[in-house]
Amino acid sequence: MDPTAIIDSYVADVVRHLPRRQRADVALELRSLLDDELAGRAADADRPADSALVMELLTAFGRPHDVADRYRPAGFMIIRPSDAPRFTWIALGGIALIWAITLPAIMLGVIPVTGWDYGADAWWGRLTVWWLGPGIGALWWPGVVITYTLIGALVDHRREPAPDGWTPAPPRTIDRDLVSRPGIVAGIAAGVLGATIVIALPWLAAWAPGLPGPAIEALALDPGFLQWRAPWILPLWAAELVLYVLVLITGRWTVPTLRARSVLSLATAGLLLWWSLGGPVFLSPTTDTTARLILAALAVCVAVDAVVAFRRSRSTTRRVPSLA
Amino acid sequence: MVDSPAQYGRLEQDLRKGALVLAVLSQLRTPQYGYSLRQALAQRGMPIEEGTLYPLLRRLESQGLLASQWQADDGPPRRYYELSTLGTGVYQDLTSAWGSLASVMNRLLTEED
Repeated sequence: MDPTAIIDSYVADVVRHLPRRQRADVALELRSLLDDELAGRAADADRPADSALVMELLTAFGRPHDVADRYRPAGFMIIRPSDAPRFTWIALGGIALIWAITLPAIMLGVIPVTGWDYGADAWWGRLTVWWLGPGIGALWWPGVVITYTLIGALVDHRREPAPDGWTPAPPRTIDRDLVSRPGIVAGIAAGVLGATIVIALPWLAAWAPGLPGPAIEALALDPGFLQWRAPWILPLWAAELVLYVLVLITGRWTVPTLRARSVLSLATAGLLLWWSLGGPVFLSPTTDTTARLILAALAVCVAVDAVVAFRRSRSTTRRVPSLA
Repeated sequence: MVDSPAQYGRLEQDLRKGALVLAVLSQLRTPQYGYSLRQALAQRGMPIEEGTLYPLLRRLESQGLLASQWQADDGPPRRYYELSTLGTGVYQDLTSAWGSLASVMNRLLTEED
Protein backbone atom coordinates (compact mmCIF):
# COMPACT_ATOMS: atom_id res chain seq x y z
CA MET A 1 0.00 0.00 0.00
CA ASP A 2 1.16 3.51 -0.75
CA PRO A 3 2.70 5.05 2.41
CA THR A 4 1.27 8.47 1.51
CA ALA A 5 -2.24 7.00 1.39
CA ILE A 6 -1.74 5.43 4.82
CA ILE A 7 -0.56 8.76 6.28
CA ASP A 8 -3.45 10.62 4.63
CA SER A 9 -5.93 8.15 6.08
CA TYR A 10 -4.34 8.45 9.55
CA VAL A 11 -4.33 12.25 9.42
CA ALA A 12 -8.00 12.22 8.39
CA ASP A 13 -8.75 9.96 11.36
CA VAL A 14 -7.00 12.36 13.74
CA VAL A 15 -8.57 15.59 12.53
CA ARG A 16 -12.03 14.00 12.50
CA HIS A 17 -11.93 14.33 16.32
CA LEU A 18 -10.94 18.00 16.26
CA PRO A 19 -13.03 21.18 15.94
CA ARG A 20 -13.62 22.14 12.29
CA ARG A 21 -11.71 25.41 12.53
CA GLN A 22 -8.59 23.54 13.66
CA ARG A 23 -8.73 20.66 11.19
CA ALA A 24 -7.08 22.10 8.08
CA ASP A 25 -4.15 23.58 10.00
CA VAL A 26 -3.50 20.46 12.09
CA ALA A 27 -3.85 18.22 9.03
CA LEU A 28 -1.29 20.23 7.10
CA GLU A 29 1.18 20.25 9.94
CA LEU A 30 0.63 16.63 10.93
CA ARG A 31 1.14 15.45 7.37
CA SER A 32 4.34 17.45 7.12
CA LEU A 33 5.60 16.09 10.46
CA LEU A 34 4.79 12.50 9.59
CA ASP A 35 6.49 12.86 6.20
CA ASP A 36 9.61 14.17 7.93
CA GLU A 37 9.48 11.44 10.55
CA LEU A 38 9.07 8.80 7.90
CA ALA A 39 11.96 10.13 5.85
CA GLY A 40 14.12 10.28 8.99
CA ARG A 41 13.27 6.72 9.97
CA ALA A 42 13.92 5.49 6.45
CA ALA A 43 17.31 7.23 6.43
CA ASP A 44 18.20 5.80 9.86
CA ALA A 45 17.19 2.29 8.80
CA ASP A 46 18.78 2.68 5.37
CA ARG A 47 15.72 1.32 3.62
CA PRO A 48 12.93 2.83 1.50
CA ALA A 49 9.92 4.43 3.19
CA ASP A 50 7.56 1.52 2.63
CA SER A 51 4.20 0.67 4.14
CA ALA A 52 5.77 -1.43 6.93
CA LEU A 53 7.86 1.53 8.06
CA VAL A 54 4.90 3.91 7.96
CA MET A 55 2.79 1.47 9.98
CA GLU A 56 5.57 1.28 12.56
CA LEU A 57 5.72 5.08 12.72
CA LEU A 58 1.95 5.48 13.13
CA THR A 59 1.84 2.77 15.80
CA ALA A 60 4.41 4.74 17.78
CA PHE A 61 2.57 8.00 17.12
CA GLY A 62 -0.53 6.69 18.85
CA ARG A 63 -4.22 6.10 18.29
CA PRO A 64 -5.89 8.87 16.28
CA HIS A 65 -8.27 9.65 19.13
CA ASP A 66 -5.40 9.98 21.63
CA VAL A 67 -3.43 12.22 19.28
CA ALA A 68 -6.51 14.41 18.75
CA ASP A 69 -6.96 14.65 22.53
CA ARG A 70 -3.44 16.03 22.83
CA TYR A 71 -4.21 18.72 20.27
CA ARG A 72 -7.32 19.82 22.08
CA PRO A 73 -7.01 22.43 24.80
CA ALA A 74 -7.57 21.12 28.30
CA GLY A 75 -11.28 20.79 29.02
CA PHE A 76 -13.02 21.51 32.28
CA MET A 77 -13.72 19.10 35.08
CA ILE A 78 -17.24 17.74 35.31
CA ILE A 79 -16.89 15.58 38.41
CA ARG A 80 -14.06 16.05 40.88
CA PRO A 81 -12.29 12.78 41.68
CA SER A 82 -13.23 13.20 45.35
CA ASP A 83 -16.91 13.50 44.36
CA ALA A 84 -16.91 10.49 42.02
CA PRO A 85 -17.77 7.84 44.66
CA ARG A 86 -20.65 9.96 46.03
CA PHE A 87 -21.88 10.65 42.49
CA THR A 88 -21.86 6.91 41.75
CA TRP A 89 -23.73 6.15 44.96
CA ILE A 90 -26.38 8.78 44.23
CA ALA A 91 -26.84 7.66 40.62
CA LEU A 92 -26.90 3.91 41.23
CA GLY A 93 -28.58 4.19 44.65
CA GLY A 94 -31.46 6.10 43.05
CA ILE A 95 -32.00 3.32 40.52
CA ALA A 96 -31.86 0.70 43.28
CA LEU A 97 -34.40 2.67 45.33
CA ILE A 98 -36.81 3.04 42.39
CA TRP A 99 -36.51 -0.66 41.63
CA ALA A 100 -36.95 -1.60 45.29
CA ILE A 101 -40.22 0.35 45.37
CA THR A 102 -41.67 -0.44 41.95
CA LEU A 103 -40.75 -4.12 41.64
CA PRO A 104 -42.69 -5.34 44.70
CA ALA A 105 -45.55 -2.99 43.87
CA ILE A 106 -45.98 -4.43 40.37
CA MET A 107 -45.26 -8.04 41.32
CA LEU A 108 -47.70 -8.03 44.24
CA GLY A 109 -50.09 -5.19 43.48
CA VAL A 110 -53.15 -4.85 41.30
CA ILE A 111 -52.78 -6.57 37.91
CA PRO A 112 -51.22 -3.94 35.68
CA VAL A 113 -53.15 -2.70 32.67
CA THR A 114 -50.88 -3.58 29.79
CA GLY A 115 -53.07 -3.76 26.73
CA TRP A 116 -52.70 -7.52 26.43
CA ASP A 117 -54.19 -10.31 28.50
CA TYR A 118 -51.76 -13.14 27.87
CA GLY A 119 -49.66 -13.69 30.96
CA ALA A 120 -50.87 -10.50 32.55
CA ASP A 121 -51.20 -12.11 35.98
CA ALA A 122 -48.27 -14.54 35.70
CA TRP A 123 -45.04 -13.61 37.47
CA TRP A 124 -43.19 -13.32 34.18
CA GLY A 125 -45.93 -11.14 32.74
CA ARG A 126 -45.68 -8.76 35.68
CA LEU A 127 -41.90 -8.87 35.51
CA THR A 128 -42.08 -7.95 31.82
CA VAL A 129 -44.45 -5.08 32.54
CA TRP A 130 -42.16 -3.91 35.34
CA TRP A 131 -39.01 -4.11 33.23
CA LEU A 132 -40.54 -2.33 30.24
CA GLY A 133 -42.03 0.32 32.52
CA PRO A 134 -40.36 1.41 35.75
CA GLY A 135 -37.45 -1.04 35.34
CA ILE A 136 -35.88 0.62 32.32
CA GLY A 137 -37.66 3.86 33.14
CA ALA A 138 -35.59 4.20 36.33
CA LEU A 139 -32.68 5.23 34.15
CA TRP A 140 -34.18 8.71 34.07
CA TRP A 141 -32.62 9.21 37.48
CA PRO A 142 -28.92 8.97 36.49
CA GLY A 143 -29.87 11.07 33.46
CA VAL A 144 -31.15 13.81 35.76
CA VAL A 145 -28.09 13.55 38.02
CA ILE A 146 -25.71 13.79 35.05
CA THR A 147 -27.61 16.69 33.50
CA TYR A 148 -27.54 18.70 36.74
CA THR A 149 -23.86 17.87 37.22
CA LEU A 150 -23.09 19.04 33.68
CA ILE A 151 -25.01 22.28 34.17
CA GLY A 152 -23.26 22.87 37.51
CA ALA A 153 -19.84 22.19 35.96
CA LEU A 154 -20.59 24.57 33.07
CA VAL A 155 -21.69 27.33 35.44
CA ASP A 156 -18.58 26.82 37.59
CA HIS A 157 -16.40 26.85 34.49
CA ARG A 158 -17.85 30.10 33.17
CA ARG A 159 -17.88 31.84 36.53
CA GLU A 160 -14.98 34.20 37.14
CA PRO A 161 -12.68 32.90 39.86
CA ALA A 162 -13.38 34.55 43.18
CA PRO A 163 -10.94 37.41 43.84
CA ASP A 164 -10.62 36.48 47.50
CA GLY A 165 -8.55 33.49 48.40
CA TRP A 166 -10.01 30.50 50.13
CA THR A 167 -10.45 30.78 53.86
CA PRO A 168 -11.24 27.89 56.18
CA ALA A 169 -14.79 27.73 57.46
CA PRO A 170 -15.29 28.45 61.16
CA PRO A 171 -15.29 25.28 63.22
CA ARG A 172 -18.62 23.54 63.35
CA THR A 173 -19.90 21.59 66.29
CA ILE A 174 -18.80 17.99 66.19
CA ASP A 175 -21.34 16.92 68.80
CA ARG A 176 -23.99 15.57 66.46
CA ASP A 177 -25.84 13.93 69.34
CA LEU A 178 -27.16 17.26 70.57
CA VAL A 179 -30.79 17.68 69.58
CA SER A 180 -32.80 20.79 68.91
CA ARG A 181 -35.51 20.82 71.58
CA PRO A 182 -37.88 23.09 69.60
CA GLY A 183 -37.34 20.77 66.65
CA ILE A 184 -38.19 17.69 68.74
CA VAL A 185 -41.31 19.42 70.12
CA ALA A 186 -42.39 20.34 66.59
CA GLY A 187 -41.70 16.78 65.43
CA ILE A 188 -43.73 15.26 68.26
CA ALA A 189 -46.61 17.66 67.58
CA ALA A 190 -46.56 16.86 63.86
CA GLY A 191 -46.33 13.13 64.59
CA VAL A 192 -49.28 13.22 67.02
CA LEU A 193 -51.35 15.26 64.56
CA GLY A 194 -50.53 12.88 61.69
CA ALA A 195 -51.27 9.81 63.81
CA THR A 196 -54.59 11.33 64.88
CA ILE A 197 -55.59 11.93 61.27
CA VAL A 198 -54.61 8.39 60.25
CA ILE A 199 -56.41 6.85 63.26
CA ALA A 200 -59.50 8.91 62.44
CA LEU A 201 -59.46 7.91 58.76
CA PRO A 202 -61.97 5.03 59.19
CA TRP A 203 -64.49 7.57 60.50
CA LEU A 204 -63.77 10.12 57.80
CA ALA A 205 -67.40 10.42 56.70
CA ALA A 206 -68.46 11.21 60.27
CA TRP A 207 -65.91 13.97 61.07
CA ALA A 208 -65.64 15.47 57.62
CA PRO A 209 -69.18 15.37 56.24
CA GLY A 210 -68.39 18.22 53.85
CA LEU A 211 -66.08 16.04 51.78
CA PRO A 212 -67.55 14.93 48.42
CA GLY A 213 -68.73 11.31 48.20
CA PRO A 214 -66.05 10.15 45.72
CA ALA A 215 -63.31 11.44 48.03
CA ILE A 216 -64.75 9.52 50.98
CA GLU A 217 -65.07 6.39 48.85
CA ALA A 218 -61.51 6.77 47.58
CA LEU A 219 -60.20 6.95 51.14
CA ALA A 220 -62.26 4.04 52.49
CA LEU A 221 -59.93 1.55 54.20
CA ASP A 222 -60.06 -2.19 53.61
CA PRO A 223 -61.80 -3.93 56.58
CA GLY A 224 -59.25 -6.76 56.61
CA PHE A 225 -56.43 -4.23 56.80
CA LEU A 226 -58.15 -2.37 59.60
CA GLN A 227 -58.73 -5.54 61.59
CA TRP A 228 -55.41 -7.37 61.23
CA ARG A 229 -52.61 -5.15 59.97
CA ALA A 230 -53.42 -1.61 61.04
CA PRO A 231 -53.52 -1.98 64.88
CA TRP A 232 -49.83 -2.95 65.10
CA ILE A 233 -48.84 0.62 64.39
CA LEU A 234 -50.35 1.86 67.66
CA PRO A 235 -47.80 0.26 70.06
CA LEU A 236 -45.00 1.38 67.72
CA TRP A 237 -46.24 4.96 67.72
CA ALA A 238 -46.62 4.87 71.50
CA ALA A 239 -43.07 3.57 71.91
CA GLU A 240 -41.71 6.23 69.55
CA LEU A 241 -43.57 8.92 71.47
CA VAL A 242 -41.96 7.73 74.71
CA LEU A 243 -38.55 7.61 73.01
CA TYR A 244 -38.74 11.17 71.68
CA VAL A 245 -40.01 12.50 75.00
CA LEU A 246 -36.97 10.88 76.65
CA VAL A 247 -34.66 12.46 74.05
CA LEU A 248 -36.40 15.80 74.65
CA ILE A 249 -35.73 15.55 78.36
CA THR A 250 -32.09 14.52 78.06
CA GLY A 251 -31.45 16.97 75.21
CA ARG A 252 -29.24 14.54 73.27
CA TRP A 253 -29.12 11.14 71.67
CA THR A 254 -27.42 8.46 73.70
CA VAL A 255 -26.36 4.94 72.76
CA PRO A 256 -29.49 3.34 74.34
CA THR A 257 -31.88 5.85 72.71
CA LEU A 258 -30.15 5.47 69.34
CA ARG A 259 -30.43 1.69 69.60
CA ALA A 260 -34.08 1.99 70.60
CA ARG A 261 -34.65 4.26 67.59
CA SER A 262 -32.93 1.73 65.36
CA VAL A 263 -35.10 -1.14 66.62
CA LEU A 264 -38.32 0.90 66.39
CA SER A 265 -37.47 2.10 62.89
CA LEU A 266 -36.71 -1.43 61.79
CA ALA A 267 -40.01 -2.67 63.21
CA THR A 268 -41.87 0.23 61.55
CA ALA A 269 -40.18 -0.49 58.22
CA GLY A 270 -41.21 -4.14 58.50
CA LEU A 271 -44.78 -3.17 59.33
CA LEU A 272 -44.99 -0.68 56.45
CA LEU A 273 -43.64 -3.30 54.07
CA TRP A 274 -46.23 -5.77 55.35
CA TRP A 275 -48.95 -3.18 54.79
CA SER A 276 -47.65 -2.55 51.30
CA LEU A 277 -47.25 -6.16 50.23
CA GLY A 278 -49.73 -8.02 52.43
CA GLY A 279 -52.94 -7.14 50.62
CA PRO A 280 -55.21 -4.19 49.95
CA VAL A 281 -55.05 -1.16 52.22
CA PHE A 282 -57.80 0.89 50.58
CA LEU A 283 -60.95 -0.39 48.91
CA SER A 284 -60.43 1.79 45.83
CA PRO A 285 -57.87 0.06 43.55
CA THR A 286 -56.40 3.35 42.34
CA THR A 287 -55.93 4.75 45.85
CA ASP A 288 -54.67 1.37 47.01
CA THR A 289 -51.96 1.13 44.35
CA THR A 290 -50.72 4.66 45.05
CA ALA A 291 -50.87 4.21 48.83
CA ARG A 292 -48.96 0.93 48.70
CA LEU A 293 -46.26 2.51 46.55
CA ILE A 294 -45.95 5.33 49.09
CA LEU A 295 -45.87 2.82 51.95
CA ALA A 296 -43.08 0.86 50.26
CA ALA A 297 -41.11 4.09 49.75
CA LEU A 298 -41.68 5.03 53.39
CA ALA A 299 -40.53 1.57 54.46
CA VAL A 300 -37.25 2.08 52.61
CA CYS A 301 -36.74 5.53 54.18
CA VAL A 302 -37.49 4.24 57.68
CA ALA A 303 -35.16 1.26 57.14
CA VAL A 304 -32.42 3.69 56.14
CA ASP A 305 -33.06 5.61 59.36
CA ALA A 306 -32.72 2.34 61.31
CA VAL A 307 -29.31 1.74 59.74
CA VAL A 308 -28.21 5.34 60.33
CA ALA A 309 -29.24 5.19 63.99
CA PHE A 310 -27.50 1.87 64.47
CA ARG A 311 -24.29 3.11 62.87
CA ARG A 312 -24.36 6.27 64.96
CA SER A 313 -24.78 4.19 68.10
CA ARG A 314 -21.55 2.38 67.17
CA SER A 315 -19.69 5.52 66.16
CA THR A 316 -16.14 5.58 67.48
CA THR A 317 -16.25 9.32 68.18
CA ARG A 318 -18.95 8.75 70.77
CA ARG A 319 -16.66 6.43 72.72
CA VAL A 320 -14.11 9.21 73.08
CA PRO A 321 -15.96 11.98 74.95
CA SER A 322 -12.81 14.12 75.12
CA LEU A 323 -13.19 14.81 71.40
CA ALA A 324 -16.51 16.56 71.93
CA MET B 1 4.31 -0.57 45.25
CA VAL B 2 6.48 -0.32 42.15
CA ASP B 3 6.80 -3.94 41.14
CA SER B 4 7.02 -3.82 37.38
CA PRO B 5 9.15 -2.10 34.76
CA ALA B 6 5.97 -0.54 33.34
CA GLN B 7 5.20 1.17 36.65
CA TYR B 8 8.76 2.39 36.95
CA GLY B 9 8.53 3.65 33.37
CA ARG B 10 5.44 5.70 34.24
CA LEU B 11 7.14 7.23 37.27
CA GLU B 12 10.16 8.18 35.19
CA GLN B 13 7.84 9.59 32.53
CA ASP B 14 6.10 11.74 35.17
CA LEU B 15 9.49 12.98 36.33
CA ARG B 16 10.56 13.95 32.81
CA LYS B 17 7.20 15.53 32.03
CA GLY B 18 7.95 18.41 34.39
CA ALA B 19 11.16 19.26 32.55
CA LEU B 20 9.75 18.84 29.06
CA VAL B 21 8.58 22.42 28.49
CA LEU B 22 11.89 23.90 29.54
CA ALA B 23 13.78 21.39 27.38
CA VAL B 24 11.68 22.35 24.34
CA LEU B 25 12.03 26.09 25.00
CA SER B 26 15.79 25.71 25.33
CA GLN B 27 16.04 24.33 21.79
CA LEU B 28 13.79 26.95 20.24
CA ARG B 29 16.06 29.90 20.80
CA THR B 30 16.78 29.26 17.11
CA PRO B 31 13.97 28.32 14.67
CA GLN B 32 13.31 24.59 14.40
CA TYR B 33 10.63 22.51 12.74
CA GLY B 34 9.07 19.59 14.55
CA TYR B 35 11.25 16.78 13.30
CA SER B 36 14.51 18.70 13.64
CA LEU B 37 13.54 19.71 17.16
CA ARG B 38 12.81 16.13 18.15
CA GLN B 39 16.13 15.03 16.71
CA ALA B 40 17.96 17.82 18.53
CA LEU B 41 16.38 16.83 21.84
CA ALA B 42 17.04 13.13 21.28
CA GLN B 43 20.68 13.79 20.46
CA ARG B 44 21.04 15.64 23.74
CA GLY B 45 19.52 12.79 25.76
CA MET B 46 15.91 13.97 25.94
CA PRO B 47 13.95 11.75 23.55
CA ILE B 48 10.28 12.71 23.26
CA GLU B 49 7.53 10.74 21.59
CA GLU B 50 6.23 12.29 18.38
CA GLY B 51 2.67 12.24 19.59
CA THR B 52 3.63 14.22 22.68
CA LEU B 53 5.95 16.82 21.20
CA TYR B 54 3.85 18.19 18.38
CA PRO B 55 0.71 18.96 20.40
CA LEU B 56 2.97 20.51 23.05
CA LEU B 57 4.38 22.89 20.46
CA ARG B 58 0.89 24.03 19.52
CA ARG B 59 -0.08 24.46 23.14
CA LEU B 60 2.99 26.61 23.83
CA GLU B 61 2.19 28.63 20.73
CA SER B 62 -1.39 29.17 21.85
CA GLN B 63 -0.01 30.40 25.19
CA GLY B 64 2.05 32.96 23.33
CA LEU B 65 5.42 31.43 24.23
CA LEU B 66 6.25 30.38 20.68
CA ALA B 67 5.83 31.93 17.25
CA SER B 68 5.59 29.85 14.12
CA GLN B 69 5.64 30.28 10.38
CA TRP B 70 5.56 28.01 7.36
CA GLN B 71 8.73 27.92 5.27
CA ALA B 72 9.72 25.92 2.21
CA ASP B 73 13.49 26.15 1.76
CA ASP B 74 14.66 23.58 -0.78
CA GLY B 75 12.07 21.04 0.30
CA PRO B 76 8.53 20.50 1.42
CA PRO B 77 6.85 23.29 3.41
CA ARG B 78 7.48 23.02 7.16
CA ARG B 79 6.29 24.91 10.17
CA TYR B 80 9.18 26.49 12.03
CA TYR B 81 8.82 27.36 15.70
CA GLU B 82 10.91 29.75 17.79
CA LEU B 83 10.63 31.59 21.09
CA SER B 84 8.44 34.67 21.03
CA THR B 85 9.35 37.76 23.05
CA LEU B 86 7.14 36.53 25.86
CA GLY B 87 8.59 33.03 25.50
CA THR B 88 12.13 34.38 25.82
CA GLY B 89 11.26 36.03 29.14
CA VAL B 90 9.49 32.92 30.39
CA TYR B 91 12.42 30.77 29.30
CA GLN B 92 14.81 32.92 31.36
CA ASP B 93 12.52 32.76 34.40
CA LEU B 94 12.09 29.01 34.09
CA THR B 95 15.83 28.52 33.67
CA SER B 96 16.38 30.38 36.91
CA ALA B 97 13.65 28.35 38.63
CA TRP B 98 15.18 25.14 37.31
CA GLY B 99 18.57 26.12 38.77
CA SER B 100 17.01 26.59 42.19
CA LEU B 101 15.06 23.37 41.92
CA ALA B 102 18.07 21.37 40.81
CA SER B 103 20.08 22.79 43.68
CA VAL B 104 17.35 21.91 46.20
CA MET B 105 16.96 18.45 44.74
CA ASN B 106 20.69 17.83 44.91
CA ARG B 107 20.70 18.81 48.56
CA LEU B 108 17.69 16.58 49.26
CA LEU B 109 19.14 13.62 47.45
CA THR B 110 22.63 13.82 48.87
CA GLU B 111 22.05 14.89 52.45
CA GLU B 112 22.67 12.22 55.07
CA ASP B 113 20.05 11.17 57.57
